[in-house]
Formats: sequence, structure tokens, C-alpha cells
Amino acid sequence: MSAKVKTMDRKGASLQERLYLIEIFKGMATTFGHFFRNLLDNRKLYVRHYPEVQPEIPAGWRGRHRLTSHADGTVKCVACFMCQTNCPANCIMIKAGERQDGKTEKMPVKFTIDLLECIYCGYCVEACPLDAIRMDTGIFSVTGNNRESFILELPELLASPGAYSEEEYKKGGA
Amino acid sequence: MADTIKLFVNGVEVEVETGKNLIDAIGAVGIEIPHLCYHPALGADGNCRMCLVGIEDGRPPLVPACKTPAQAGMKVLLDAAHIKKIQRDVMELELINHPTDCPICDQAGECKLQDYYMTYGRPESRMTVPQVQKSKKLDFGCGVVHDQERCVTCGRCVRFCREITKTGELGIINRTDDARVNIFPGRPINNRYALNVVDLCPVGAMTSKDFRFKQRVWFLKKAPGICHGCAKGCNITIEHNREKYQDDIIYRFRPRLNRQVNGYFMCDAGRLSYRQENEGRLLAARLGSQIRPLEDVLAACTREIEQAGKIAILLSPNCSLEQMVAVKALAAKLQASLSGFSTGYIKEGDGDGLLIEDDKAANRAGLALLGIDCSRESFEKAVRDAQLLINFNNDLTRTYSDSELKKLLKDTKVIIAATHDDRLSAMADIAIPVATSSEYAGSLINCHNILQTFAGAVSRNHKPANIGEIAAKLGSPLQSRAEQFAELRKYLSVLKDFEADTVPAEGLKLNESEAANVTA
Repeated sequence: MSAKVKTMDRKGASLQERLYLIEIFKGMATTFGHFFRNLLDNRKLYVRHYPEVQPEIPAGWRGRHRLTSHADGTVKCVACFMCQTNCPANCIMIKAGERQDGKTEKMPVKFTIDLLECIYCGYCVEACPLDAIRMDTGIFSVTGNNRESFILELPELLASPGAYSEEEYKKGGA
Repeated sequence: MADTIKLFVNGVEVEVETGKNLIDAIGAVGIEIPHLCYHPALGADGNCRMCLVGIEDGRPPLVPACKTPAQAGMKVLLDAAHIKKIQRDVMELELINHPTDCPICDQAGECKLQDYYMTYGRPESRMTVPQVQKSKKLDFGCGVVHDQERCVTCGRCVRFCREITKTGELGIINRTDDARVNIFPGRPINNRYALNVVDLCPVGAMTSKDFRFKQRVWFLKKAPGICHGCAKGCNITIEHNREKYQDDIIYRFRPRLNRQVNGYFMCDAGRLSYRQENEGRLLAARLGSQIRPLEDVLAACTREIEQAGKIAILLSPNCSLEQMVAVKALAAKLQASLSGFSTGYIKEGDGDGLLIEDDKAANRAGLALLGIDCSRESFEKAVRDAQLLINFNNDLTRTYSDSELKKLLKDTKVIIAATHDDRLSAMADIAIPVATSSEYAGSLINCHNILQTFAGAVSRNHKPANIGEIAAKLGSPLQSRAEQFAELRKYLSVLKDFEADTVPAEGLKLNESEAANVTA
């Protein structure tokens, strides 16, 4: 096998470059140029003033999970365990039980997502046959003081609303 | 092995056993013929039409494989275009009114309809009329829940109740797409083998109330085991799973085929006995009422044994043969009296001649084989004379009432090696947690003198020790299972060619002289 070899010119071999000092001052000039320009007028700075200014999150973004509900407020999830089966990080833990609200027969009694273990791959959303789990809350930053606060349970997952309209979400590639 | 004949499947010559139908004969060599209504224990019914195969140059050219005996020289067609079309069309017919319940159906993952849909069909539904609605979640009694919409009316459950239990609670009523399995009004299923219809049902129409929604079947790890519910020793599959951050839990027992012992089925009581393996277990060693590390407790046991003048040792009739020889060697070393007294395990008149036996102990024949005395008089005399009773998991509360037991043991210190945290272990001075039958390997002799071995399936978080190990730590000369098995060979010449892990899966039938020894 003969690989195609391209020889690159080595830079920095000329006398001017080998003296170093001249190159250092050229670099300093760029740095200080930016420094003084931004010091006098920072409107053109390429920096977001986070967290005062929040980024715009597109609808296809895989943010924190939520569980969706039917129009009458009952949970769509039927505890089929497809998401748990498909989860490569093994961060979803479901406990199924008999359904009481007359929709079908089965529902989750416990639905736990450990966000510290989640890798936000979106396989759970893909696996769900009933569109019951989505990652469209637009929450991209989850913070907490202890490990327990990263473990989401059923009420929290149901309480968070979606950040997008149905059309936007569908257009976002879901 | 029975006589064999040669026939052709898809033009390839295969050698199969005679006297079987095509499904069983060809299935035994690894070629599957799809079928829903046929079951080897229930015979051919021929109503599902899924097993239609072509016979080249035959009259008729198309036959149901379940009703066709394998014959020499037969040319069976399985992958011809017209056979594939039949299979696809039958699948389409079965699925016309089948609800898409797979996400909430317990059968999903072991459902024949799902498997065959993927393998033989994938038909798109061409129906434009709404599906027929039937009743769902009907309680048929005995823990059987029926869903009429999922049913393919193969009639296996109906035939089971008529032919095997002879109780006939189920029937198919109405015709065509209105046909449904039902019970007679006000007369639910009432037999002791009812949950077998859940296994028999090829789809999710019959589900077990006990297992309902507990686990998806693809999470379950399956391991072979022997049911310790009675002297029959039915072969089972132990299905267990360790969920994240949880203990290893058994979710169900299912029967495993052994023609020599239990056939395809098992009783409901044995099937539900998995609960006892999970619940109420003794989790830590106890010295008096204090929880102490096992080493300390065993050291305390050794002190008690040294101090005691006379020792009585009691064995459970549920112990494996290995455990029995280990404890017997311990008793010989300590010059203790050994008893297997356990009349409380026998429930007179409970057996039915089918699979359930009177004797609820799994290995009483083992006690007899090893010549261990089981009489009431000698046990009670030994306890009265002894200062110390070492009880290896014999549930004396089955034999004695609490007051009788207190009276019997009032002058005797009790060391108990117990699986469960119950009244008996609470009464003991020292309690040591030991493994149940799903957690250790061993061998048993059942009521028909068949020796069967089983391996440990479940590993609990609290890591209970085997009774054999406890006996070894208390001074039994037989330190390992290999040594125990070697000792066992002295009693059973039939074992001379076998190691503990090479005993055949269907068990060893003990020969005449050994059987006489067992029953003596």
C-alpha cells in the first residue's frame, strides 16, 4: 500500500522568526489591540452575557426530559419499558403498576431518571411508541447542591412543560 | 433413542425419530414449523392452520404438520412460495382483530404471534372496518387474567382444563370473529394447576395476576432449578433479575420439561413458592438478639459445642444430599445424635396423583438413603438428653405448636441455621442465615427415586452461606462440595461415573437395590 505523502513546509525557519522577540511583539500587538478596543467600546464583543442573556435553544435540541400527558391530564406513558431497555447509560428506572384512570391497563408507578448518569442521547425519545417521553423542555443546564437533586421522579417529569409549540417540535426533527 | 427414519425437508435429507408428528420430529433437529394451537402435551388440534406444509408428490399436497406423522422418504416443503404465502395469510388473518397491546402486554418478548409476525409475515393491515371489541382484563380465578381481544382461539387453555386437569372450566363460545374463550357464568377456574394456562397461551391472552406488570420478560435471567415445594421435585426455570441498586429477586418459577419427572407442567403452589425465596429471609447472623458478624457467631457456636455435654443435631428433609452427608459427618465427629424428624412436612391426603405429593419435603428419600433416623421418639429423647440442639433449617413449627416447642426446648440451647426470620429462629439462642434452594448447588432424590442435581441461580446481597459450608466451619470433615459428593458415591453406586456437574439433566433413575435402600 502506498500512501499519498504530502510534505509540509516547516515554518519559523527564517532569521526573523528565529529571533523570537519580533514575533512576540507582533503577537502582543494583536492581544493589546483587542484589549484596548474592547476597553473603550465593548458593544462589539463576541461574548454572551450569560446568565442575564439566555441562548436561543432550537426545537431539535435534546434538553432535560419530560413526560407528556393526554389532553385530560393523564400520563401518556404506559410503562412499556422501551426507553429503559434502549437506554445505553442505564439511567431510567421504571416501576409499572395497574392503571386506575381507565385509559389502558398499565401505567408507571415510579419513573426515575438519574440525570447524573444520562448522556442525553435521545434514544429514549426515539424508542417511545407513544410519544410519552420528550426532551423538549429547553432546559439545557441542570444544577444542584447534592446528588439526590439530579434524580428526577414522576411528578417533576410530568410537571415540566414543553418549550415549543407542537409544529415547532415536529419541525425540529422529532 | 428411538428408531430413526430419513426424510427430506426443502430437499435436504434429515434423520428424525419415528412415531412423531412433523412438528416434533423436524423440530427436534432444529427446523421450526410455526404453530399456535399444537402443544406436545395437549396433542394436535389443527385449528390454527399455521403449520400447513407442502408434501411434494403427495396426496393431498398440503397438510397440517401437527396431524401428519413423519414417514420415511417424505418430501416436506417449508420454504416454497405457496407455503410462505399461506403462512403470511394466516398471520394476516390472526392479526385482523388483534389489538396493538404489545407495550402493555406481559407476553411481549415471548409471544408467538410477535415472533411469527417478524419471521413469517409483516403484513400491513388491509382492514378498513373497525376492529371487533371484546372484553379485557377478565378475572378467571386462580390468578389467571384473560384478555379476549388478544386471544387467537387456539384452544390450548380449553384443552388443558379438559384433558389434563379434567375440570373443564373453560370453553370457546360464539363463532368466527366473535369467538372468545370464557368461563361458565359464576364458575371461575378452580384447579390447582390453573396457572399453566398462562404458560400454554402462545399469545398474551392469559396473563398471571401475580406476575402482571412486575417485569418485562427480556430483563429476566433464566436458570434451571428444582422446585422444593414437595417430594415430586418438578423441574423449573428460575427467572430472576437484579434491578439497578436492588437485590437479586426471583420474579417467577416456570415449569421446565422433564418427561421423567413432571412433564411440561407444575402446580400453582410450587409456582408461587418463589415468594418464600424472596420474602421474610434471615439476613444477618444473630447472637441472642444482637446482630453480629458471621465469624463471631460461628466462634460462639464452637464454644457452645465445646461446653455442651450432649448435642442433638436436626436436619431438614429439604436439605440437599451434599448438605446431609456434611451434617452427618459433623454429627459423627461431635458424637451427636442426628435426626431428620419432620412429620409436620407431610400433609396427609393433599396429593392428587398428578404432580402434587403429600410430602412437602423435597428430599426425604435422601434422609432414608443416608440412614438418618426420623422417628419422633428418638428425636424427643435426644433433645431431652442434650444441652445443645443444632437445627439445620428444619421448620419445627410445622410439627409442633409454639407451646409444645417451648416445653420441648426449655432446657436446651438452640443453634439454628435458618433461611427465614420467623418464630422459630426468633426462639433460637444463635441464628445463622443460610441459603435457600435457589442459591446453592446440590442434589435431591424425589419420591420416584430419581436423583436430580441443580445449580445455584440467585446471588443475594446478604450472601447467605450453604448449610454444607456451615457444617464444614463447625468442624465437619467434608470441607467442599467435591468431598461431599465423593462421600455420596459410597451410598449411591449409580454416581460412580458422574461428577456433581455431569449428572444428566433429566435425572438419574436409581436402580433396584438403591431404591430398596431408600425406601427401607
